[in-house]
Order: sequence, then C-alpha cells, then structure tokens
Amino acid sequence: MSLVEIRNITKRYGDVTVLDDVSVTIAAGEIIVIIGRSGSGKSTLLRCINGLEPVQAGSIIVDGVRVNDPQTNLRKLRQQVGIVFQSFNLFPHLSVARNITLAPTVVKGMTEEQAREIARDVLRRVGLEEKLDAYPHQLSGGQQQRVAIARSLAMQPKLMLFDEITSALDPELTGEVLKVLEDMARSGMTMALVTHEMGFARRFGSRALFMHNGKIWEEGPASEMLVRARTSELETFLGAVLH
Amino acid sequence: MIREFGVIDLVYLVAAIRWTLLLTLAAFAGGSVVGLIIAIMRVSNFAILRAVAVWYIQVIQGTPLLVILFVFFFGVSIVGLPVLPWIAASLSFSLYASAFLGEIWRGALQAIPRTQWEAGGSLGLGFVEQLRYVIIPQAVRISIPPTVGFLVQLIKNTSLAATIGFVELTREGQLTTAATFQPFTVYVTVAFLYFLMCFPLTQWSRILERRFHVAG
Repeated sequence: MSLVEIRNITKRYGDVTVLDDVSVTIAAGEIIVIIGRSGSGKSTLLRCINGLEPVQAGSIIVDGVRVNDPQTNLRKLRQQVGIVFQSFNLFPHLSVARNITLAPTVVKGMTEEQAREIARDVLRRVGLEEKLDAYPHQLSGGQQQRVAIARSLAMQPKLMLFDEITSALDPELTGEVLKVLEDMARSGMTMALVTHEMGFARRFGSRALFMHNGKIWEEGPASEMLVRARTSELETFLGAVLH
Repeated sequence: MIREFGVIDLVYLVAAIRWTLLLTLAAFAGGSVVGLIIAIMRVSNFAILRAVAVWYIQVIQGTPLLVILFVFFFGVSIVGLPVLPWIAASLSFSLYASAFLGEIWRGALQAIPRTQWEAGGSLGLGFVEQLRYVIIPQAVRISIPPTVGFLVQLIKNTSLAATIGFVELTREGQLTTAATFQPFTVYVTVAFLYFLMCFPLTQWSRILERRFHVAG
C-alpha cells in the first residue's frame, strides 16, 4: 500500500487555481523529486501533505489517515510526517537541544533525558553533535538547516518533506545540507523534495514530478526524465536550470 | 477651620499613594487575565472568537474611562450590590486595562512570523502548546516595553477614581485643598508624587525598548 495517496486535489486562492486536479501516490521508501517554476504549485502540493494548506476538493491520505478531513487528528498525522522549510524556522529563543527535544517531550511525553539522548543521536546524524547547547543565531545557515532536519528526525517520521531547503543557502553551505540528504536517502527514508538541485534529483530521486500551471505536467523515473524531457515545457525548464 | 499646608498634609498625601498603587495593581492583575484571553482569542482559528474579541476591544476603547467608571459606580447599586467606590473602581479599571493590554499583546503575538506557528504545528504541537512554548516566549520580549508604557497611563488614570469618592492620591489632594485652601501648592505636590511613581517606569520602558531593539 502506498504511504501517501493524493487523489484529484484542487486548491484555490480566490480566483487563482494553484493545484488543478492533482493525483500522486508515494510508496514507502520512494524519493520523490518535485520540480517546476515558482508559482507552479510544487510547494503547495508538499504543504498539503501534512495539512498545512487546506484543499477545496479531492482527498489526501497519509498512512491510511485522511488529512483533509475536519475529523482528522492533525497532531497524530504530523508525528508521522516531518517537514523542513526553506527558511529553517528554528525556534530562535530555544537552544539547539531544546529545539529538538520540545516536540518529543511535549507531544510524545518523553522525559527530558530520553529526549536529550535522541537529540544527541539525530545531531550526530547531521554532523552537529557539538552544537547541542548552541543557539540558532550562533549557527551558519547550513548548520541551522541541518538542525531543522535533525529536529524533524527526532520525531521518527515515516515520511520527510523538504520544501526547497537549500534555496536560501550559498553553494558552499548547500553542499553540507545535500550530504545530509544523501545519507538519509541511503538509509531508506521516504522523502518528497521540492528542489532545484538537479544533480541530487538525478542521482537519488526514484521518481520526478514536473509541475506546471498547477498540474503534474510530466512524471517519470528521475534519472530518465531529467535528462530527456517529453514535453517542451519541461525541456524549457531544464534548459533554464541546467545552464 | 482653615489651616496651613504642612508636614502632616504631605504625610497624608504620601500615604494615599498606597491606594493609587493598589488600584493600579488590582486593575493590572484583572486586566492581565482578561487581556491575555482577549489577545489569544484574536489569534485563534475561530472567526467567532476573533470577532468577539475585536468588538470587546472596540467597545471599551471607544468609551471614556470616566463614563465606564460612572456606569459601574451607579450600576452596582441597580443590581443590588453595595455602592463601594473601591469595587466600582477596580472593576472599571480592570475592564479598561483588559482592552488595552489585549490589544498590545495581540500585536505582539501577531508580530511572531506565521512560519513559527507552522514549524510548531508540523512537529505535532497543538494550538495551546504552540502558544506556550513557541509564540508567547517570543512575544513577551516584544510586549514588555509597551506594557510598561501602558502601566504608566494606568497609574495616572487612576486619578479619575477621585470622582466617585475613592480616596487615592488625587482625592486626598482635593480633601487637603478643602482644609488648607492652598490648591496650587497641594496639586503641585500631588503632580510631583505622580511623577515620582511614573518616571522610573518610563525610564525602565525606554531601557527595555533600546535593549530589545539592539538584540533584534
């Protein structure tokens, strides 16, 4: 069974249709790469998956739970689905450790010691164990983003969503974040990424979605699709990002 | 019998300060509790709660404090409660403070970027947990300078309670004037005593504002 099942969703902001009858499924272990120009609806699609954006029509089912249903306990769902944002969104008033332990202690009811152990563990995975007691403003952008990834990992999600997580970073810092993503990809984590990093997308993506005008314009194995476009829209897009 | 304004009058005026401060404290305490609820209603996800909070603030901010004071003073006797200036004054000032504090704190809560709510929500925190652990701790920093600024207004405005016979600093001044017939001396003294209460707070508010401004 697929981990995520999106059927015929439509999302509008006033008169603007951002997602137009979109259907996608994501199986456990897949790495889905979502590409497209800005305004094509790719970030919105990602944000719909954990209920950050309401949709007007269609259904979104994550691990058997319908997301866009008022009865759904989003709190439960969000423990299964982690998201990392372009702008990091760390809690600036809390230490790195507390950024990570907050949700495990408050939401999952862990003790402070248990949670700190997990914090140490996830920070090790992103190579920042020594920053346990630092504050976000003392870290570089790349380090902040790695902490944000660690914070999501601490909730042991089944699915991780990444919304252009390297777009706010300069190339040098992008590298260190991509390395973390690669490690996660190798460990078998199910991931959906909105990204402009075509190199990463080709090597690690199991499937690619090209969004255009709120629709999934082209879909296929990432390694093929990102080399040979079938539609002229994708060809133009690839031409623009690769050169 | 008319007597000269002397040391004993000064002592009485200084002693009356405690009533001014007590009334301020009562109003601030009552106003904080209700104000916090109003501020949280304003940022809640329920349109009805937001609308109620907006109207609450509009109605109270659109009414003169002196009139609120009279409404309470004469209103309590209609509902059969004893007409006690102390009760009428602390109720009216609490109401007044709740609307203004509610508005100040709403602004502080809304100044925290939407993305902080999203980050908290995505980790599974509920509305109250997001407020408690993520939003309020950051909003407190922003809200301290205007809150202290409002406290100064509150101290000064408690002088209106003199009109319903509550013996705080200003009322004590009126009584002293009646006995000494030296209004100028008395009210300059009263003004100076208010200044002594407010000045340290204003300075503190400025220091806080500067500190938070630098810290970003």
